[in-house]
Amino acid sequence: MNADVMIIGGGIQGCSTAYHLALQGVSAIVIEKDYIARHASGVNAGGVRLLGRDMAEIPMSKASMEMWKTLDETLKFETGFRRRTLVNVAADGADIAMLQSRQTVMQKAGYFHEHLLDQSQLREVLPHVHSSCVGGVTSELDGYALPYQATMAFRQAAMQYGARFVEGEVLSSLRHVGPVWIGRTQTTTYEAGAVINCAGAWGDKVAMRIGDYVPLSFAAPMLMITARLPHFAKPVVGAVSRQLSFKQFENGTVLIGGGAKGYVDRDQNTTRLDYSKLASAAKTAIEFFPIMASASINRMWAGIEGYMPDNLPVIGPAVNAQNAFHAFGFSAHGFQLGPIVGKVLADLVLSGKTDFDLKAFRIDRYERKVL
Amino acid sequence: MIYDCAIVGGGPAGMNAAILLAEAGVRVVIMDRAARAGGQVYRSAADSVLPRPEALGLDYTEGVALITAFESCAATHIAAADVWHIGEDGMIFYSLNGTTRQLQAREILLCPGAIERPMPIPGWTLPGVMTAGAAQVMLKSDAVVAEKAIFAGSGPLLYLIVAQYLRLGVKVAGVIDTTPKANYLAALPGGAAALRSWPMLRKGLNLMREISNSGVPVFKAATNLSILGKTAATGLAFECNGAQEIQAETVFLHHGVIPHSNMSRSLGLEHLWNEAQQCWQVKTDSWGQSSIPHIAVAGDGAGIIGADGAQCAGRLAAFNILYRLNVFSLSERDQRAREDQSKLIGMTPFRAFIDRLYQPVEELRLPKDPETLVCRCEEQRLKDLRAGYEAGARDPNALKSLTRCGMGPCQGRQCGPIVSSLLARWRQEPEEAVGYYRLRSPQRLLSLAEFSRFQNNDETGTGAEVSG
Repeated sequence: MNADVMIIGGGIQGCSTAYHLALQGVSAIVIEKDYIARHASGVNAGGVRLLGRDMAEIPMSKASMEMWKTLDETLKFETGFRRRTLVNVAADGADIAMLQSRQTVMQKAGYFHEHLLDQSQLREVLPHVHSSCVGGVTSELDGYALPYQATMAFRQAAMQYGARFVEGEVLSSLRHVGPVWIGRTQTTTYEAGAVINCAGAWGDKVAMRIGDYVPLSFAAPMLMITARLPHFAKPVVGAVSRQLSFKQFENGTVLIGGGAKGYVDRDQNTTRLDYSKLASAAKTAIEFFPIMASASINRMWAGIEGYMPDNLPVIGPAVNAQNAFHAFGFSAHGFQLGPIVGKVLADLVLSGKTDFDLKAFRIDRYERKVL
Repeated sequence: MIYDCAIVGGGPAGMNAAILLAEAGVRVVIMDRAARAGGQVYRSAADSVLPRPEALGLDYTEGVALITAFESCAATHIAAADVWHIGEDGMIFYSLNGTTRQLQAREILLCPGAIERPMPIPGWTLPGVMTAGAAQVMLKSDAVVAEKAIFAGSGPLLYLIVAQYLRLGVKVAGVIDTTPKANYLAALPGGAAALRSWPMLRKGLNLMREISNSGVPVFKAATNLSILGKTAATGLAFECNGAQEIQAETVFLHHGVIPHSNMSRSLGLEHLWNEAQQCWQVKTDSWGQSSIPHIAVAGDGAGIIGADGAQCAGRLAAFNILYRLNVFSLSERDQRAREDQSKLIGMTPFRAFIDRLYQPVEELRLPKDPETLVCRCEEQRLKDLRAGYEAGARDPNALKSLTRCGMGPCQGRQCGPIVSSLLARWRQEPEEAVGYYRLRSPQRLLSLAEFSRFQNNDETGTGAEVSG
């Protein structure tokens, strides 16, 4: 089977890339080893967050946020995106000091989307926050989307423009022969002019087949969701320095994260939860929001996510091969970037250029230059 | 505290296994949700609230002897324990009086029992519609009955509860039997072999005779059932020699039971599709040993065999566990097992006959009306699932992610089997190729406050000090 571009991995980055390529009349084929959005893209917390981003990510994150605003209309499929603002709660003076020094840096760089909150402003936006919390920081652009639905929206939109998706096929080899990339799965051989690695937590394996080495690690961020509660928090909530993260959806259920990680068997596609760590996330949630003591946990789960040592993704061209590109290792904050990453990759494939500075994301940033 | 064996579920299988293991002197703990053991079949049998429990039949009152024997055995019994996590590593977390406790065992025996097969006819989720099993729970636990109710469906449990109602003098509005005529013909060849279990067969025939002699209207081979009423059930419409309607405020539905597989699913044990019984069941060997060797499953939870079969299966699992614990030699195990093995083999023809006679019809197993709710918790209709499938969600978990079907507090108990079979029809593939939801702990709603106090390997909070 032939295409202009072969995309390995059917998460949000792969689906968004397929969409942006197909939109420009480029034939794209996405090869997914399980099913579309099976892993991190389908089971993450759905945070669409600009607040607190690493400086290197802010330009892309801002551009992506612009796209999220109208994404449902653009794609003509629902992503479940809701703009709800995000509030990071400051528990003490040290948190406030940290926020103030970041604010100085941000404003010097020309970014004004983060706003500090004093104690009374915090209580105004989050009436149920514990009275000891001293303030916080907020970004009004932020919100959440429904991860599986959003990834499927990209897939469906891409299909309308002719992109193809194959599910349940595992890449067994990838070779660059002359101008052609030849990828084999257990049933089919695919040929394309370019290959894009959007393989998430498996991105290092695909990178190796392309010829690039990268020190990716992987883990299983854990989440739990409650049965329905009366509405008590409209914004998405995080904390400056504590393991607190939750959002209450329109149906009243509360999704609690916080970054605690379980165990992964990457080859088996399985994860195991670490209940002590999840329990401490539950404890933190109740400490900050006593109203949650009345909640009941309905489900707990974890997804498989790839992490880079600096928690920044790999985005950009391959260094050891032509017509090959990477976008993986988003280190548990790639969902919001999905819309723009697809566009950046499409631009790179078609023109070799992009509007963004990708230096911080290059794949060889950990390559040993000297022995 | 590490136990040699932990048993989850105190029905006929669990109690029998506990008695044997305790007799052999191994450290065995059994956890059960009820205050007194007995499972669904012997629920409250040992402390019945009914003035005349014998009206429920000998099968029920005979449970008292087993419960008494169980309660006098040396097994540690943790009553009112809500198990919410079982790990491959042998760790079990359970709620007891609002606190999570934990224990560990070398061998685990799951005896989760059966649940009723969902019966998604139009209106099945309306208030006033319950299952025959719910009628039994109300009767056994609280001596509560529903006057002038309709009983609709097929299978031994349906006829049993109707007969129990009649013996207690409760009026029944009608029995709508959906067993198709074709099933009688198909089961007939197995009838002769089933005669070997004549007492069982006679019990069934007596139930039928009790019902037909009572003067309660009985409609046979009924089709096209739908619940009447908009906001609550007001009766049942069906076809039986023409269109029929019966008015009633309560409709009890039943068409057989299936293994309660949430525990075995959460553990990631292998499952298979049982074509004869049209349901999923955990894959085990003849000793109940699952795809993870130190985890066994026995009783109806491992495949429907009935209470008598469950007693044998519980004992067989116990013999094998004793062998695995080096208490029994191989020959001791095999010798001790012989009696129960031959009993189980003896029951096979009757079971096959019943399975064939009451094999659920697709029309009652899967919804037909696009408006019928499949997922009660998240209110997903057949048409919503179909739309999700057409959008590309071909896997049960993908469909769950897209539509929220199966995400509610019942953990997919109700919709799971329906979703697998719907996808199998739509994909034109067998159920085994389609698979089932990936389930996780907690196995039921768990208080966030309780969980927030949880610490792994807490040395003070083990279940060892608790006994029932």
